[in-house]
Amino acid sequence: MSLHTEPIAAGAFLHTLPAEKFNRCRVSIHFRFPASRAAATDHALLPLVLERGYAACPDMTALSRKLAKLYGADLTVATTMQGACRVLSVSVTGIKDEFALQGERLSAEYAALAFGVAFEPYFENGEFSAEAVEIEKATLARQLESEINDKRLYCVRQAQRRFFGNSPAGVARDGYLEDLPAVTPASLTAAYKDILRTATIDVMVLGLDEAAVRPLLAAALEKQPRTPAPLPGYLAMPAAPAEHFEEKLDLEQAKLCMLFTMGRPADPEELDAYRMAMCVFGGLPTSRLFLNVREKQSLCYYCASRITAASACMMVDSGVEPANAQKAEAAILAELQKLAGGPIDPEELQNARLALASGMAGVGDSLAGLENWYFGEILRGGRISTPQEAAARLESIGADQVRQVLRRFTLSVSYLVTQKEETHG
Amino acid sequence: MADTFDAVRRAVGCQSAVLENGLTVLVRPMPGYSSTYALYGTRFGSVDLDFEVEGKTVHLPAGTAHFLEHKMFESEEGDAFARFGATGASANAYTSFDKTCYLFSATDKVDENLDILLSMVNEPYFTPATIQKEQGIIGQEIKMYEDSPDWRVMTALFGCLYQEHPIRHDIAGTVESIAQITPEMLYDCCRAFYNPANMVLAVAGNVTLEQVLAACKRAKLPVCPGSVRRLEADEPAAIAAPKARFSMQVAKPCLGVGFKEAPRRGVKFEVICDMLTEVICGGMTPLYRTLYDQNLVNPGFDGEFLALDGLCCFLFTGETDQPEKVREMLLAEIRRLRAEGVDEELFTLCKNQLYGEMVQDLESTESAASLLAGSFLRGCQPGEELAALASVTKQDLDDALQTMLRDERCATVVIDPAAAGEKEELV
Repeated sequence: MSLHTEPIAAGAFLHTLPAEKFNRCRVSIHFRFPASRAAATDHALLPLVLERGYAACPDMTALSRKLAKLYGADLTVATTMQGACRVLSVSVTGIKDEFALQGERLSAEYAALAFGVAFEPYFENGEFSAEAVEIEKATLARQLESEINDKRLYCVRQAQRRFFGNSPAGVARDGYLEDLPAVTPASLTAAYKDILRTATIDVMVLGLDEAAVRPLLAAALEKQPRTPAPLPGYLAMPAAPAEHFEEKLDLEQAKLCMLFTMGRPADPEELDAYRMAMCVFGGLPTSRLFLNVREKQSLCYYCASRITAASACMMVDSGVEPANAQKAEAAILAELQKLAGGPIDPEELQNARLALASGMAGVGDSLAGLENWYFGEILRGGRISTPQEAAARLESIGADQVRQVLRRFTLSVSYLVTQKEETHG
Repeated sequence: MADTFDAVRRAVGCQSAVLENGLTVLVRPMPGYSSTYALYGTRFGSVDLDFEVEGKTVHLPAGTAHFLEHKMFESEEGDAFARFGATGASANAYTSFDKTCYLFSATDKVDENLDILLSMVNEPYFTPATIQKEQGIIGQEIKMYEDSPDWRVMTALFGCLYQEHPIRHDIAGTVESIAQITPEMLYDCCRAFYNPANMVLAVAGNVTLEQVLAACKRAKLPVCPGSVRRLEADEPAAIAAPKARFSMQVAKPCLGVGFKEAPRRGVKFEVICDMLTEVICGGMTPLYRTLYDQNLVNPGFDGEFLALDGLCCFLFTGETDQPEKVREMLLAEIRRLRAEGVDEELFTLCKNQLYGEMVQDLESTESAASLLAGSFLRGCQPGEELAALASVTKQDLDDALQTMLRDERCATVVIDPAAAGEKEELV
């Protein structure tokens, strides 16, 4: 099962993936563009406003009812950060025509809906509706203020703010509360039009007739003046002495987030080694962090690691007893040191390889799995690998490569969110 | 509408067998799929605290079912995670109010993984030392949930709605309750509920029924003739308390509104209740639109329905700056629907949406196996929900509203934001 890519225009591609075995089909339109601190809050607000309606169906409730009529088709508009790149994605997923109860041509409707939302938003006097913008600004404000409700996520975000500083990789996905008052229908419309003009556009089609999608994309592009902007490459925060931060809240379980930098941009061709390193260190229930820090030393409830290649950052986050936070941090660092400089049991490597290969073999069993894999490959740049090719390459990753990867990381930021009361020692 | 569900009925199709020892085996081969998802479940959850097994009366501390789930991963041969890890499978388990399930997903060595799954659950191994170690880890898990406002709203609502029912207790129990757990209690639970006749093995994906039956044969599952009788709490119809209010570290107040209903089970009844939550405050409703446009709730405000043996309730939860106002608007909308009836178009759209969700649930190996196991654990047939959906009418919803969701059996929980935290930065 492999990706077929067809360039439609400068910076615009149509990617198709076979998806016969699924009950549903999916079309996604991804806009990739450089992250901007100045426009971050406009970019964060766009998904909320776009998801309310579009020119052919401006009303939010009418759109909800339209989706229900399409048997609960799912419309998602979201934005994510990939290093110094931001991605704005519009996706529609719904059941295939053969399951329609009245013989409707559902897939054609999904494509029209996705392209409508992405390229034909509802404007009043050439701008997004002022009412919609005001309502969604309030929604975004509530979301930003509620960050603290999820203590794990809050701790990670606080650590990232300190780790990335003013780097473009640290631009907040959800924007900034302090910038919200300045967002207007005019600024939002300008940000949207700028994306249409400059973004790289990847349309991914899974289980729909691409012949029906191609003219929609071509027609959308014809209406837009296009000058696609170059996309930023991988970057890294420089290595620096570790900084420790502590914040006290009214909570039961403390959260510890440790961010490490590679000090230089990651090599996209080394992704296999990063994956193996994370599985051995902290990505699985058979990893060192789980077995030693949680199971043997009982220092935390969860303790997991992952690498973000685009920003050369490794994160270890854990939920710990407030009294054990320092011990947990020391134990995590000790595990990293032991792994980077010591022996690795062949069984650990084999477990990592098998877990990764199993996950890769299962990529083709879900629409989301397929799209995530191939869009990840597109983001990485270079030659697109199938999951099977990537799994085969794991055989060549040994202990030396794992150690080499882990040796490059140094701790930059350790952020602890802990109990307010001094009940621990 | 019922006749046009054929495409889905075919997709639901599964192969089944009931073994001599009573175990129900449900298998759905999915051609073209690489992965296999297996789920081994028992009708034993956090609410099963009092029962008789082989003439012995057992009273468990809160959190025992969840504790037992953790302990099942240990055996004399070592940790089951390690054994699954050596095959490349991804394994996990979960405990809910009325069931405990063990699962794996694998793309290779399915037979070997089935052997591990069946043996870990059927060869329990507990010692005081291993129990003590687990108490520390689960204590951490309990604390993690105590920091979750969504979880706290839900558990507080159960505490307000129910006077005696064990749903009042958290699924994981408390640090104090799990400290009382002994190996003997865990062995009693195994005898009572980990009896093959009380269990289901549901497998979907790249697998055949023959393969699964062969694994069951290799596992030499015991025939357990012992009987278990649940001792049900005598729960009054009235709620325990109309409201609860407390504070924690949240940005905005969190609201929960619950309704206690007369206990009732049945697939069609549960479909009706699911649809009721959707026609009251789902994304297509006038209430949701008003709440959203007036910035009264976050997008996550919604309703859900829960039915267990001896229990039936609705929960509406979300974040809001004005909990009292939102509660009043919710109650007013329910009264309006009771008086005026459910909008015909909205009813049809909800039905369409539910149908689409059912088609979606048949797509992945995980959801297919979960659907099969869920049907057994709820005491119904795979595909029965689809037939129930086809038969539901708007009148069914209007009738249900006459007796359900009444103000007098409503409880309210509000979590207020605690004072802001202190920041201290150390270099």
